[in-house]
Amino acid sequence: MASSQHVLLSPAELAYLHASLSLTPPIRPDGRTPTQFRPLAAETGILPGANGSARICFADGTEAIVGVKAEVERTAQRAGEETIFTEGNLLGDEDEDVEDGEAKEGEDKRRGYSSWVEMTVEIPGLRDDDSGTAFLAAMLSEALLADGEFVKRLWINRRFHWKLYIDIILISPPLSYPLPLLSLTTHLALLSTRLPRLKSEGDEDPFFDDDWAAAPYLFPRTITAGAKSTAADPTASRPPITLLVMAVGNNIIFDPSKEELAVADVALAVSVTGTTSHAEDTVQAEGKVGRDLRLLSIRTIDPPSRLTPPGVANAANAAYGTANGAAAQQKMPEARTAETEVVEGVWRAPRGGAKRIVLGALVQKVLERGGVVDEVLDALEGVDLG
Amino acid sequence: MPITILTPKPSRPINDREEDVSDAFSISDSESGGVDLDGDLPMTSRPHKRVRITNTTSSSASGGDIVTPGELITDDPQWMRGHGTYVTPGTPSIISSVAGTISRTNKLLSVRPLRARYTPEVGDLVVGRIVEVQAKRWRVDVGSTQLAALPLSAINLPGGILRKRTETDELQIRTFFAEGDLLVAEVQQLFGDGGAVLHTRSLKYGKLRNGVFVAVSGMGGGGGVVRSRRQVWTMDAANGGGQIDVVLGVNGYVWISKHVETPEAENKAAGITNMEESVSTTMYSSQNDRIEVETMREIARLRGVITALVENGLRVDEDMLVRGYHEAVEMAMVSAEGADDIYLGGERGEQLAAALTGQ
Repeated sequence: MASSQHVLLSPAELAYLHASLSLTPPIRPDGRTPTQFRPLAAETGILPGANGSARICFADGTEAIVGVKAEVERTAQRAGEETIFTEGNLLGDEDEDVEDGEAKEGEDKRRGYSSWVEMTVEIPGLRDDDSGTAFLAAMLSEALLADGEFVKRLWINRRFHWKLYIDIILISPPLSYPLPLLSLTTHLALLSTRLPRLKSEGDEDPFFDDDWAAAPYLFPRTITAGAKSTAADPTASRPPITLLVMAVGNNIIFDPSKEELAVADVALAVSVTGTTSHAEDTVQAEGKVGRDLRLLSIRTIDPPSRLTPPGVANAANAAYGTANGAAAQQKMPEARTAETEVVEGVWRAPRGGAKRIVLGALVQKVLERGGVVDEVLDALEGVDLG
Repeated sequence: MPITILTPKPSRPINDREEDVSDAFSISDSESGGVDLDGDLPMTSRPHKRVRITNTTSSSASGGDIVTPGELITDDPQWMRGHGTYVTPGTPSIISSVAGTISRTNKLLSVRPLRARYTPEVGDLVVGRIVEVQAKRWRVDVGSTQLAALPLSAINLPGGILRKRTETDELQIRTFFAEGDLLVAEVQQLFGDGGAVLHTRSLKYGKLRNGVFVAVSGMGGGGGVVRSRRQVWTMDAANGGGQIDVVLGVNGYVWISKHVETPEAENKAAGITNMEESVSTTMYSSQNDRIEVETMREIARLRGVITALVENGLRVDEDMLVRGYHEAVEMAMVSAEGADDIYLGGERGEQLAAALTGQ
C-alpha cells in the first residue's frame, strides 16, 4: 500500500543519508538524537465553536488543526431486543472487539459503536479519497477505536449517545509524512474535549447543564479530584498516540523527517495508549516513573526508499573516466539500470522484507517503560488546556 | 528529553534593517518641507490589525505593516509605484500585488514580499535538481516559478572532449544527469517569461555528491540566501572534521559536502586542456567517497546552523555562516553532551541567533 509520497533525491544524497544514519550513534541531518522529536508549538482550545480543539506546528511551518465536535444522537434500537444494533461500522472487525470489552466489564451497561465517531482527514493537495489520506484516516481511527473503550465514553443512556466528529486538517503542505503530527494534534484535541454535564437521569431524554465551566472533560484529568465522579470508566486511560518509527540498519529512529524516511529500511506506525491505572503500584516497585503502555495497533508504512533509483558505481558508469569514456559508452549503453553488487558509497534501494528482529526491537523500544512514549505523553499532558 | 512542546509565540511585527534606512530618508524628506506622511497614507480600506507604533517617528506608520495582494496602499497621486504593486488605469491608487511589507524610498512605494520565489538573473550560481529528462535537454528545479532548462549542448562531456552532440549522446542523456540528480550550474540566458537556461561548462560546476542538501526559502522577510561576493567556499571544520565545501545557490538551495581534492590540484603543471580532462573524470559520478564520521558530524552541524539562521529570520551568507558555525562549536563545547552535540533546533537555534546578532 503506497502510503508516503515520493521524494526526489539523488543517489549520492541517499547514499550519504543512509551512511550517516547507519552509524552508531546515528548522525541525523538535523542533529537530533535518535529518540528526539522535532520541537513543536502546541495550543488547545483554539476553535471556540468546537467541543475540543488543538493546533500543533513544527518549526519548519508544518501545521495541523483538529476540531472535535459532538452532537446528541438517538441510538438506533432494535425492537424487543436488549442489545442495541447499528449497522454502519467503520472497521469490519470492530464488533468482536466491542463484545469482548463488554464481556469483561460484566456489570457495565455502557456500550459503544465505532460508528459513533466520524473522523475526516484533510491534506492540502490530496483528494479526500486519495489512498494516502484514506490510509492516514484508517490508522488514526483504528487507534482510537481498536479497544472499544473510547466509544463507551460517548454513551449517555440506552436511548441516546454522543456522536463525535473529529476533523483533522493539515494546514501546510505535507513537508514530511504527517502521521505523527496529526496523531499528536488529535490527542491534544481529545484531551481538551469537554461535553456538557448531564442533568437528566436514567433513560429519559437527555438534558444538559448550560454552564460550560461545569462541563467535564471527555478524558478526565488525573490531577483533578473530581475525576472519579464523572461518567468515565475506571481505567482513566488517555487517548492513543500513533508514532512513526523507522529503522536504518540496526538504528531505531523516532519522528523521521522526509529525507530520513526516504532511506528507511523499515517504517512502522505504532499506536499506543498509556493507562495510569496501575501506575501507583509500579512506581514504587521500580522506582522509575512510568505508565502502562498498551499496544493498540501496528501498521507498516511502505518507505519511499524502495522506489528510489539506484546509484551507479564508478566502475559501471559510462560517463566516468577520461579518454575511454566514449569507448565505455559503446560497451554499456544501459549501464544505469544494470544490477550491481553492493559498493560502498553507492545507493541501493533496500530489498525484501523487514527483519523480524528489527521489527521486534522497534516495538520493544516504543513500549519501553519510562521511555520515549512516556515522555511524549507527559509533555502532551503538560500542555495547558485553556 | 526527546520532545519539547512550546507555547506558540505571539506573532511579532516584521521589521528589517533596510526599512530603517528608507525611513531615515523619508524623515529628512518630510522635515525639509515635505508633507506629513501620516496624513498621506489614508489606509482606510482595512482595519487596524495590530497596534502600530505611531508615536515614535512620523514615518513609522506603515513600517513593518503587512499588506496583502489586492490591498489598497494609497490613492494619493504623489506616490510612484514600485515593485510588488500595480495601478489600475485611470485611478491614482496603488495596490499591492504581493503579500509583504511596504517600503518607501523617497516617493517610490514598493512592497517587499514576505516570501518570494527565486527570480533568475544571468550569471547567478544556482543549485538545482533535475526533475525531467527530455530529448535534448533537462528541466531543472531551481526554486523559480518555472523549471530552468539545461540543454545537452551546455554541459561538459566526460573527458572534456569538444565535439558536436550526436544522437548517441541524446540516447544516453541519463548517464550524465538523471531525475533527482543535484547539480550546481550558472544561469546563462533568460527567456522573456523569466525562464532560465543553465550551463555547467566550467570545472566548478557539475553533479553534486558527498554531502547533504538543504533548501532555504527564497529572499524576502529578512532571511534566506542573499547574493554576495562568494557563493562557494571551502572551510575548515572543527573537531577534526577536515575541510567542508559549501555551495550557497543564489536560489536558496544549499549544498554542504566534504571537500575532495581534485586530481588536477596535485599536478598543477598540467595544461589547461589536461586539467579539464582530469577533472571531468569525476564529474558525473554518483558514488560517494569515503566520509569520516567527524566530517559527517560537522556537515550536519553546518546544516543545523543554516536552518537555525533561516528559522530566526537571519540572512545566510559566508560571513554569517562561518561565524554561526564557530558559535555553534563553542555552544556544543559548553553543553552537557560535549562537542558531539550537534542539535541546533528550537531554543538552541534561538540562542545561536541571539549570539550572532549580539542581543
